[in-house]
Amino acid sequence: MTNARPDIGEVDGHTDPGRGRHTGGVPTTLQPTEVTDPDLDELAVIDRPWIVLVWNDPVNLMSYVTYVFQKLFGYSKEKATELMLDVHEKGRAVVASCGREEAEMHVFRLHEHSLWATMEQDGPAS
Amino acid sequence: MALRRKFVPPVQAVRGGWRITLGVEERSLLIRMMGEFEALITGPDDNELLLRLFPVAYPEDEEKEAEYQRLMREELVASRLSAIESVVVTLDPEHTELLSEGEMIAFMQSINAIRLVLGSLLGITDDESADDADGGDSPEHQLYDFLSWLLEWTVRSLSPD
Repeated sequence: MTNARPDIGEVDGHTDPGRGRHTGGVPTTLQPTEVTDPDLDELAVIDRPWIVLVWNDPVNLMSYVTYVFQKLFGYSKEKATELMLDVHEKGRAVVASCGREEAEMHVFRLHEHSLWATMEQDGPAS
Repeated sequence: MALRRKFVPPVQAVRGGWRITLGVEERSLLIRMMGEFEALITGPDDNELLLRLFPVAYPEDEEKEAEYQRLMREELVASRLSAIESVVVTLDPEHTELLSEGEMIAFMQSINAIRLVLGSLLGITDDESADDADGGDSPEHQLYDFLSWLLEWTVRSLSPD
């Protein structure tokens, strides 16, 4: 699988703080005494997974949406149909939960298929 | 002897690939639509018809959204153009080879994207307006219905059982 973004190397979306939410306190302290990291909460924010959402729209065919979910995420027909029905009936569905770079790649591929996809960080906003 | 001609699906999965059985007129109509679609996505990017083709990725974060669009929009245009190019080649009446899965997906993505543009033109914004648009007889309605029909067969031919 190729990375669609040329500026991203082989970083892991779960562990690369440089790509996470900038909260101003990336632990770069030079004082060795501060071994208990006060920024654990911020790291928790960075580590929270990103979710990829697909939203209902009145144009895309149900069979098409089901097929795209199967193709892009490797879901079974049953699982893909279930997600498609969630989108249709509840207005949206979470189709993936992963690191930020991977989520962006999913969003890009969903956009290539003209599905209305967005991403956000899971859990409470910081 | 059967007098009625057997219905042939417009897209068929066959051994070794896929076959599009559309006639010359339908092919040239689709090729013409691909040309218009290409002009649309390479034209001014504030055209409202493009909204559904280039959706927002980060609705809750303006900064990340700007970065995403800066990096990815061009890539998405390139991907759509490459799909259009593939469709134009494979729909040429002289093109007799079977289609590969990649060519089928380019076909599927492109006709679906044009459906979205037509959907915007027809004012289809929710399920209610989609119902209202059903059965309209303007040229746009007819094209929309034609592409829906073609897409349904395309997806069916691609879908694993």
